[in-house]
Amino acid sequence: MHKRRKTLAFAAAGLSALMALTACSGGGGDGAEEEKEVTWVINSLPAAWGAISSAGGSVYVIQMLSGVIPFTGQYQPDATYEYNMDVLAEEPELINDNPDEGPFEFSFTLAEDAVWSDGTPMTGEDLRVTMMMSASPDEGYCTTCDSRGTTGADMVDTVEVDGKTATFKLKEGLANPEWKGMFDAHSVAGGFYPAHLAEEQGFDVEDPDQLGEYFTWLHETRPEWSGGPYKIVDGDLKNQVVKEPNPEWFGETQPALDRIVMPYNTDEGTFIPAFQNGEIDGANPAQYSADIVTQLQDMEATLSIAEGNIWEHVDINVDNEWLSDVELRKAVFTAINRDEIASRNFGSTYPDYELKNNHIFSSQSEYFEDHLSDTTQGDGDIEAAKKILEDAGYELDGDTLTLDGEEVGPFRLRSTDTVTRSNSLQLIQAQLDEIGVKTTIEMTDDLGTMLGEQDFDIVQFGWSGSQYFASNAEQFWHSESESNFGGFSNEDVDKAAEASATASGLDEAAKHANTAVETIVPEAYVLPIMAEPNYFFASERLANVEDNLQSSYRATYNIGEWDIAE
Amino acid sequence: MLVYTVRRVLGTIPILILASVLTFVLIDVSGDPLTQLRMQQPPPDPSVIELQEERLYLDRSMPERYWLWVTGIGGHGDIGLLQGEFGPSTQSNSYDIGAQLAERLGVTLRLVGAAMLLALGLAILAGVVSAMRQYSKIDYTLTFIGFLALSMPVFWFGGIMQHAGVSFNDLVGEQVFATIGDGLYQAQGEDLWGRITNALAYMTLPTIVLMLTSFASWSRYQRTAMLEVLNSDYVRLAKAKGLPNRVVVRRHALRTALIPLTTVVAVGIAGVIDGTVLTEQVFQWRGLGEFFVNAIETNDSYALMAWLLLSGVTVILANLVADLLYGVLDPRIRYE
Repeated sequence: MHKRRKTLAFAAAGLSALMALTACSGGGGDGAEEEKEVTWVINSLPAAWGAISSAGGSVYVIQMLSGVIPFTGQYQPDATYEYNMDVLAEEPELINDNPDEGPFEFSFTLAEDAVWSDGTPMTGEDLRVTMMMSASPDEGYCTTCDSRGTTGADMVDTVEVDGKTATFKLKEGLANPEWKGMFDAHSVAGGFYPAHLAEEQGFDVEDPDQLGEYFTWLHETRPEWSGGPYKIVDGDLKNQVVKEPNPEWFGETQPALDRIVMPYNTDEGTFIPAFQNGEIDGANPAQYSADIVTQLQDMEATLSIAEGNIWEHVDINVDNEWLSDVELRKAVFTAINRDEIASRNFGSTYPDYELKNNHIFSSQSEYFEDHLSDTTQGDGDIEAAKKILEDAGYELDGDTLTLDGEEVGPFRLRSTDTVTRSNSLQLIQAQLDEIGVKTTIEMTDDLGTMLGEQDFDIVQFGWSGSQYFASNAEQFWHSESESNFGGFSNEDVDKAAEASATASGLDEAAKHANTAVETIVPEAYVLPIMAEPNYFFASERLANVEDNLQSSYRATYNIGEWDIAE
Repeated sequence: MLVYTVRRVLGTIPILILASVLTFVLIDVSGDPLTQLRMQQPPPDPSVIELQEERLYLDRSMPERYWLWVTGIGGHGDIGLLQGEFGPSTQSNSYDIGAQLAERLGVTLRLVGAAMLLALGLAILAGVVSAMRQYSKIDYTLTFIGFLALSMPVFWFGGIMQHAGVSFNDLVGEQVFATIGDGLYQAQGEDLWGRITNALAYMTLPTIVLMLTSFASWSRYQRTAMLEVLNSDYVRLAKAKGLPNRVVVRRHALRTALIPLTTVVAVGIAGVIDGTVLTEQVFQWRGLGEFFVNAIETNDSYALMAWLLLSGVTVILANLVADLLYGVLDPRIRYE
């Protein structure tokens, strides 16, 4: 089954005669038609066979299950949304979008010929059971399902299943602007799971305990099922998975490859020799590495670098006695030079970097509005910063900033100890020093505790962005949000954030989200710097392989279309 | 001998208890295993966090957790060293730490075993040759190689070996050496010869990397020990009696000179195991080293405790074996 390695292994011991002998032993199938096989790296070990659980909820699990989990749609590399019309009979229907006139209601209808790999038809029951497993235990569907994202499922009041159709009604007064994404590639499950296997395995999905057991079974058992173009035929959670075409795949484009091997490789330093050695055909690493990108630029490879989903920002603890003054915060943000930070970290290998001018939307998004360029924040304009301070009554005594004769600060400037953040903090320290604001850099390896305990004055960290944004403003800045780490509170922002989270559609949610951004910028609470770039590389022998930074599936988002170039 | 062995084994019990307490306390205070879950965006429902806290016994006090970890009494059946359970993992509900350790132990033993045998063989050879040809060109050459090997960091040398392997493959036009993985999957379905060549293709580079540091230090010890013995009275007497040099060296000098090396190798096992952490990472072997790295990355406290405890037990056992080997190597030592 595996391509035989024409091994000259004894060469290592200097046994040249044996080298020749073993070389001859290779049975590479001369004369036989070469199988189309691709080896694509998963950048870390997947923790489970399912993506719903808190442990399984990683991009690595999603990518490992690419081509296996069916989904109803996804964002394309150009940020446009496409429904998966192989799986759907028609575009999902929004039946009622006004919660004042009755329950918010929508339905999905699956394609008539959509079947699982064992021939069982996909039905609305698959969607209902996936929703039940995605909800929090408090909803009563499942006792032990530890879903990593319960928001959408917890809104559901009732589900009606009629063959291929599932109709969802939300609880009274609730609306979900992201309803169309409930079973798409970006959802908590990365798509939807088979319901009929529960009965086959002896689990009653109506019993909360037994649904929990089915949830566990799905996460512990290597899927022999598939609802996509490929199915997993071999592998484990430590080494690799091997996929071959799903003979029951009902989609318009049939898989072109005979086999896809996905080894888990946790050390990016090994990518280059393994790629040169023909052991891997490509990867879409989660972390940016200028060193590896530099080496790839000199090799025969398809290489792309673009803005990723993690965006870095500087936050201020507004409960600090000095930093509670908005004028001081404005001056601090004005003195910080975002361009210098971005250039120092990424300029050499990604000179096309873009500074982030909207906290919620990337510049590619149709909802993007630039709320930052018209301010001086992030410009590194020392004179403007000094002017703000002077107008607010601060004085620069030598190289020390004072207010009413008292020294301002010093402040604790914190982050996790990565190369980019370390560079960044050193620059910020130097930039703030120019306006007399003294800082001490303190790194931590426990970001969660540091943020949770508000143990900082100024901090840099990253948020993970997503195409689904409606609840972001509420999460980042609402006065009651546990993720509002700097203690900011503003009634207008709270209202806009709530309105975004409960809007009836994405357009309306985006309008409120932008209002929240517009309101928070003059408060100088969070300064976005830039989205970290991501890179992707692939062998030139591959066809139809491209990165999709809009999706957790990354390059595997269209795995069913992958081929070997002629 | 038996009484001595039993006494030594019993003597390890308080050491193991102390090691378990230190391991547990140090890991327990080093961080919250649920940090990554709490930091997820959007934040998980509080009931999900509660579920995990209960599963990982974080809702209990530290002394209670230690008692649970050792005895398993009052747990959910997934914890208790005395019951063969190492505790629940943060990596996933289905991650069985004990089964993972057992499976990965086999992978690591392949690497460690090959590396130690190779390092030991080469170290003895180099040490003996250096001692017998003291201050000769070959002594200086071996000394230089030893110090060079000692000064090379594993991660760096691993990268160098990978690139050397790729260059060799390019030169011969065949994929002789593999740079990532342990090759077990690739060996599936192969005949015996195929499995052997496959193993060599995947094992050669990491084995060389792992054995290098040990070889370097052990060869220096062996040289010193050999020089000391060669200059001792009984060896001089053996030579004076007209015994051939080869017999003197092999039968009289080498055997005695191996005793200090035995101690060094026993203690050095910990170093070799530490070396697997980097070697397995560089060559992407799914052994104990990689288990350790994963446990750190995922704040998997019970997995870390299990790894540290296993390392401690290995060192204790290796020292016990070394003590017993003294009697075999040196006829003057007898255990009462």
